[in-house]
Amino acid sequence: MTPLYQFLAAQAEVPEVIDRIPSGYSHFVIPFTIGITFFLCWIGVGCVRLLAAIPRNDRIRFWKSLFIPKTIVKNLKDLFGDCLFHLKIWQRKPLLGYMHSAIAFGWFMIIVLGHIEVALFVPARLNVSRGGLFYPIFYRYFVWMNPGHTTLKGSFFFFLMDFFLLYILTGIGLAVFKRFRSIVLGMRHTTKPSLADRIALYSLWLIFPLRLLAESFTADLSGGSFLTVGVNHFWHFLFGDKLMFLPFWWAYSISLGLFFVAMPFSRYMHILTEVLWILLRNAGIKPHHPRKGVAEAEIYACSSCGLCLDACPMNVQKKNLKYSSVYFIRFLRRHNEKKINAIADKCLMCDKCHALCPVGVDAPALRRAQRITVNNSLPYDYSYLPSAVSAGQLSGPGRVHPRFAAAEYGLSPAADPAGAQKPEVLYFAGCMTHLTPRIIKAVEKVFKAAGVEYAFADREGGICCGRPLMLAGKTEAAAKVIEANKKMIEESGCTTLVLSCPICYKIFREEYHLEGIKVVHYTQFINDLIASGRLPVSKSDEKIVYHDPCELGRGCNVYFEPRAALDQVGTLVKAAKEYDESICCGGSLGSLTLDTRDRAKISESSLDNLLANSPETIVTACPLCLKTFSEAVSNSKHKYIRVTVKDFAEVICR
Amino acid sequence: MKNNILIIGGGPAGLEASAQLQRMGYNVILIEKDSVLGGHLAKWDRLFPDGVPADEVLSGLIHGTEGVKLFTETEIRAINRLEKSYNVRLTNGITVLSDAVLIASGFDLFNAVKKEEYGYGIYDRVITNADLEAYFKNGSDKRIDHPKRIGFVHCVGSRDEKSGCRSCSKVCCATAVKQAIEVKESFPDAEVFCFYMDLRLFGRHYEDLYLKAQKEYGVRFIRGRVAEVSENIDGSLVIKAEDTVASKPLKATMDLLVLMSGMRPSVSGKAVGDLLEMTVEEDGYFAVRSGIAAGQRSPLPGLFLAGAATGPKTLPETLADARAAAVEIDRYLTEIFPDARNYKQLVRERW
Amino acid sequence: MVDFGFGLVPSSRMNLDLFDKEKYEELAEIEPDVRICMACGSCTAVCTAGKYTRTSLREAIEDIKNAKPEKALEMLRACQLCGKCSMVCPRGINTRHLILSITKVYSAK
Repeated sequence: MTPLYQFLAAQAEVPEVIDRIPSGYSHFVIPFTIGITFFLCWIGVGCVRLLAAIPRNDRIRFWKSLFIPKTIVKNLKDLFGDCLFHLKIWQRKPLLGYMHSAIAFGWFMIIVLGHIEVALFVPARLNVSRGGLFYPIFYRYFVWMNPGHTTLKGSFFFFLMDFFLLYILTGIGLAVFKRFRSIVLGMRHTTKPSLADRIALYSLWLIFPLRLLAESFTADLSGGSFLTVGVNHFWHFLFGDKLMFLPFWWAYSISLGLFFVAMPFSRYMHILTEVLWILLRNAGIKPHHPRKGVAEAEIYACSSCGLCLDACPMNVQKKNLKYSSVYFIRFLRRHNEKKINAIADKCLMCDKCHALCPVGVDAPALRRAQRITVNNSLPYDYSYLPSAVSAGQLSGPGRVHPRFAAAEYGLSPAADPAGAQKPEVLYFAGCMTHLTPRIIKAVEKVFKAAGVEYAFADREGGICCGRPLMLAGKTEAAAKVIEANKKMIEESGCTTLVLSCPICYKIFREEYHLEGIKVVHYTQFINDLIASGRLPVSKSDEKIVYHDPCELGRGCNVYFEPRAALDQVGTLVKAAKEYDESICCGGSLGSLTLDTRDRAKISESSLDNLLANSPETIVTACPLCLKTFSEAVSNSKHKYIRVTVKDFAEVICR
Repeated sequence: MKNNILIIGGGPAGLEASAQLQRMGYNVILIEKDSVLGGHLAKWDRLFPDGVPADEVLSGLIHGTEGVKLFTETEIRAINRLEKSYNVRLTNGITVLSDAVLIASGFDLFNAVKKEEYGYGIYDRVITNADLEAYFKNGSDKRIDHPKRIGFVHCVGSRDEKSGCRSCSKVCCATAVKQAIEVKESFPDAEVFCFYMDLRLFGRHYEDLYLKAQKEYGVRFIRGRVAEVSENIDGSLVIKAEDTVASKPLKATMDLLVLMSGMRPSVSGKAVGDLLEMTVEEDGYFAVRSGIAAGQRSPLPGLFLAGAATGPKTLPETLADARAAAVEIDRYLTEIFPDARNYKQLVRERW
Repeated sequence: MVDFGFGLVPSSRMNLDLFDKEKYEELAEIEPDVRICMACGSCTAVCTAGKYTRTSLREAIEDIKNAKPEKALEMLRACQLCGKCSMVCPRGINTRHLILSITKVYSAK
């Protein structure tokens, strides 16, 4: 049996176009029309509302950013890379990346190609204004045979449409498979879908198989390529010449309509919101509220893909999975204040979900914004701060360290007498470091060995850096602490500020704005000392694994220097997950409500991760990690009996 | 027939139980992983409450074990339970078929290095209770150089969730008071401070010791846990605590800081327990069959426990425990063990 | 003049009858650790703010239990949430959250 289109093509006189239903309308488009209309209204209102909630200055900045060439390039790069190709997922989980990009990019191409096809091949008399409104969507239904299709160009489009349909179908196939066996795609945990998610999900699963069915049933009338025509042959083989195609076009339209209606209430809203979020993000606008304005774009840009579930260090206990970012965002959408607060307070703020998020949703920042709404207004009284710091550390006998350092360590005091009072390097240990004296000892030993003349800002204890307050959402209080510390540091006259605590380092770098003072973490400072030859070190066979502290690695992007330095003193081995995938030690100050037992579980999983290549020594560069790991190792009794936990400086200066 | 009884651990509990069982006519085999007998007692100088020399007590205990087959520097390589007895392979190559086994594996002292903030091993003048005993015994320690102010920190590794040990170690309060008196005797000019959370001086004459420390030696007792220690350039230490009675934070400079390391379950004892798949409780010590009624019986028939293997104990408690274990073993070996036909039923009823 | 048998001098005793159990339970609901303090004073000993001005979590907990919530708030208002206390607490109390919770519950009118 010859398919109809081939028969037509074989005719000598072919009509220019055969319009089966010239009106360009059939009742089956109604479900789709309702769905898309509802959806577009929703989107339109949402966008206006969202932009209205952004502070005026930010809004102006946003519009301007759309015309800055550099931002335009970045926008295009991110829109294609993140929204369509999902490159961030590809990099970590190729199969999962393929799945996401197949659906996103495939669908995008089908829409684009569908429009091009219509524009190219549909005669002007049947264009949109003349009743061809549904042509680009249901082209294969409305059009019989167009001779243009039989040209090479036409076949080419037929082929492309079929190719991308197949591409999407493979993605859908993987998605269905993922529901049952997610681990194959590299995901240990997947999100629990809500009702709207389920409706949207199942309709999304149905859309493309139904499209294939619908198009294949009409393929002998309206044309097609390897896929649709092939399937069409099969139908003829099964059912003979009479094919009832209308039910499938109805089903296709209904699944589309259903999807668009469910979309605003489901995670699939991310498909379009992501675009807005990327534009806002690239314009550099930060959320000022956990739910309004930019935050709204951010929370609707979340695709609930669940990559943050595997990223979250709390996932060692199933009961704590519910505190992952994906659920935080879900409850933000639902305005469930009680749950929002519970989740916001539980988080360790290790930032791994942010680092691994395919769309760059900064959930920790949203959690912090939420904490601000609750905690920022709590009463406090810091009237003692100014006198505390001025009475402080850099004057009076026994406190000025440079002179003692000079005398004790046999260094020559600076030529300029004022210079002796104003050391180049100021070392600020921070609160926590005072509970891990071996860090202070080791840092001073390194300074001495390298002949660094320094002053010790808080030998007898100073005030807090402000980061813990920030993390707890008390930004106003944090500003007071920052102000006091800033004054002390500026008055010291130092040019380099060395910090051994990453928590301090992060806030000093980001919030202090110290003019003319270089703020460095001791891993960076010591690495420079080694590189410049000031600090002699000797290599050993000791197998070392380095733990990236959250605030230093993901927080400040310092990954290279500690490793470079450690490489000079021992043999670095890899952890199972490291760099931006490193697992929080469990001791983080970020969490407000996580209890000791839950933290211990996290410490254990973090240790297991570090011990993947059986190192002798775990090295970290944070007092909190050091203390947490030491306690976890000693409390585990037998499990970690062969490993010791050391501080970075301790290992450098043995 | 003389039953074989294997006793694991040559500390006070093992020694006392061996002596008792030997006297009852059993064939006792005692193994000890160290080269000397006595466990921690061998390293201690004098004992509270009355200050008797530890050596004296220990030699008395060893004296009683005449006739016991003794293997020092010996551990267990493998152990398996036969129908009624235990077949034990020792590291010295000997295999023992034992009708009853007594685990008297004792305790380990908490490793004070783990209490990071006290700086043991980092600061020169921070020592432990064991270091101080060694000093009293040997008379020298370069860290102890005519200290003028000495601080005792109670509860190091005890009553501390952070050190993984919730329970009280029982002996440290009395030891601290005893050692405070002793350092005061060694350095009469020194000021001595004891920083405690609660003073648990529960035993007979312990309160007298406390009174003596206050009245005759002027030891200052401050209710507050030391929580931070830093070092001055001259090596002296600044400690921070809160005087919770005065409700004020305090700091004080010390020339010597003595950490009262508490008791932790013995690591080598745990290894023996693992061979037998014995249950340990959350605190890490072995579980007994019933805390009050059968405190020396383990959940496994024929396997007994004595001394600090089942939790912190003072020396008199340990010795009493060992004697009780001996009686329990005797009861088992005469009442349950010989009845070959009804053994299993008897175990069910009477173990 | 009638002698009523008592004067108007305020008592220096703490009056445990004034203890607000409801509020305490509300606090214990959000941070149960308030129940487990054994008053060792470690938190106060290491307190960053306590070096300069009176700050004590231990005392605040006692003040609450002794029906003096205003004093408790006073004991905590200088806190910088630095977290040293949580590092040293032998009972593993989540001190920072306890401080926030006390402030939240008892400063609410």
